[in-house]
Amino acid sequence: MNDRALQDDVIRALADAPYRASAEWRGRGLVDAGKVERFARFLARHFYHERIVHFFKYSRALARVTARWPEAVLRQPGFDALLATAVLGERATAHAVARLVTAYVAGEEVPYHKDLLRYQEAMMVVEAGPRVWRDTGRDDDRPAVVPPPPPPPPPELVEGTELLELEYDLPTVLPQLLQPWTTPPEAPRRATRLIVARSRHGRVAVARASDAIASVVRFADGARTVDDLARAAGLRPGEIAATLRDLTEIGAVRFSTGS
Amino acid sequence: MMVGAFYNPHLGAELAAARNIDHLAMADPPAAGDRHWPAIKQRYTLLLHDYLGQLSEPLDDRAIERARSLAGLYDSPWVAEHFQCLHTEDGTYNLNYVFPPLYTEEFLARFVTNANALKARLDQPLVMENIPGFFDVHASQMPEPVWLRRFFDATGTGFLLDLPHVWLEAHYRGLTPQAWLAEFPLEHVVEVHVAGVEQDRDLEGPWIAPTAPSDAMLDFMAHALTRCPATRAVTFDAFSPSLTADVLFSSVDRIRAAL
Repeated sequence: MNDRALQDDVIRALADAPYRASAEWRGRGLVDAGKVERFARFLARHFYHERIVHFFKYSRALARVTARWPEAVLRQPGFDALLATAVLGERATAHAVARLVTAYVAGEEVPYHKDLLRYQEAMMVVEAGPRVWRDTGRDDDRPAVVPPPPPPPPPELVEGTELLELEYDLPTVLPQLLQPWTTPPEAPRRATRLIVARSRHGRVAVARASDAIASVVRFADGARTVDDLARAAGLRPGEIAATLRDLTEIGAVRFSTGS
Repeated sequence: MMVGAFYNPHLGAELAAARNIDHLAMADPPAAGDRHWPAIKQRYTLLLHDYLGQLSEPLDDRAIERARSLAGLYDSPWVAEHFQCLHTEDGTYNLNYVFPPLYTEEFLARFVTNANALKARLDQPLVMENIPGFFDVHASQMPEPVWLRRFFDATGTGFLLDLPHVWLEAHYRGLTPQAWLAEFPLEHVVEVHVAGVEQDRDLEGPWIAPTAPSDAMLDFMAHALTRCPATRAVTFDAFSPSLTADVLFSSVDRIRAAL
């Protein structure tokens, strides 16, 4: 094992609690296990503090009336219990932490609160997962603005992409929540569908999802060709091209090149 | 000697009007809606102190262009990066917090090569900041100060000396900060960071916090500056939404008084 791989092993031990507890890691005897455990817990609290403050910023704004600050969960027994299984950046851990937050801040202060919590939870969970930190020029999965011709490879939904069906039109109220207010702003009660996706570099994007987008998300399985997908989704050639372009731009769809 | 702080956007109005601060370090690019940014840019010398990448690997063109663009935007007299290796090479694990590399020959060669490559692409000098280790990894081959000296000798980059990092390492090694500091290559120091430390529950000991530096830390700073003849700036190193204007301004005043 070279030094770079050894450093990766130390980083993994700090990020991955089950690995840190494994005989494989402990058998290496590289570090003081007690100190590593303490530092790993410090890192976990820092890691999720940043994400909770960022993704649950609307709940933080509402804390003016709820008095429930999302990041308070980091000092509660539920979070301490999670630390034994937490893997920093992993989707399952992000989901578990987000669930702790939503359970804590849930309430009836605004009628769209349930939608708001689902939205924030989705943003935090979609952000999780491995990412590309630097372009090496070897990757062949970078999103294309248009499918490479000819013939375009089968499009597939990027893992973690989520469609949200909401009861309220949240995008109209979100900016207002972050502005000064005395009573919480209202959201129009109107069925709203959003798509939340992440670029391979980790940037989370959210957009209103048309029927065409919802259809493509449903059928883009990495096996159907673009023509098959258009037929399954009931879209004309111009519509499928535009929809795929929009979805690749936000990181929701990529073009499978096989293995 | 310039005395400054970090740009904390939530304190933008106060910083735009302040008179006792010479420079601001920029940890993040200005937000699109930051109404204080034009005044800040006009008023201050700005230091690029963003996350550019980790120099255990070469920075890709995208990261270098971003660094060049930010340095140009700020008209920064130098560009800062950290001695850190915080995510695995494949991007699976990420600590999201500064973490030092193994102090080995292999990592020294990697950092020297990649820092020289970055330096060659920048229009400003590169300075590198030391990162504290909470625990030793037995695979390291030399003490951190020796590794740093060899790095600076091989690259000609400047040293951004973070004094609380030295102070914490000395604490956890059972040394006096002055004795540990004496091991470092202080003749390369261009900028000094000063900050407060607080007890951390997870670490069961002190760690960096967005709080005022203690009198002992300021005495340590005064001692360090007598041994760093090329220092051009001292920066109060606190960047957090929880930082108050009072702590920021009083800390800068106390740093200035201690010089």
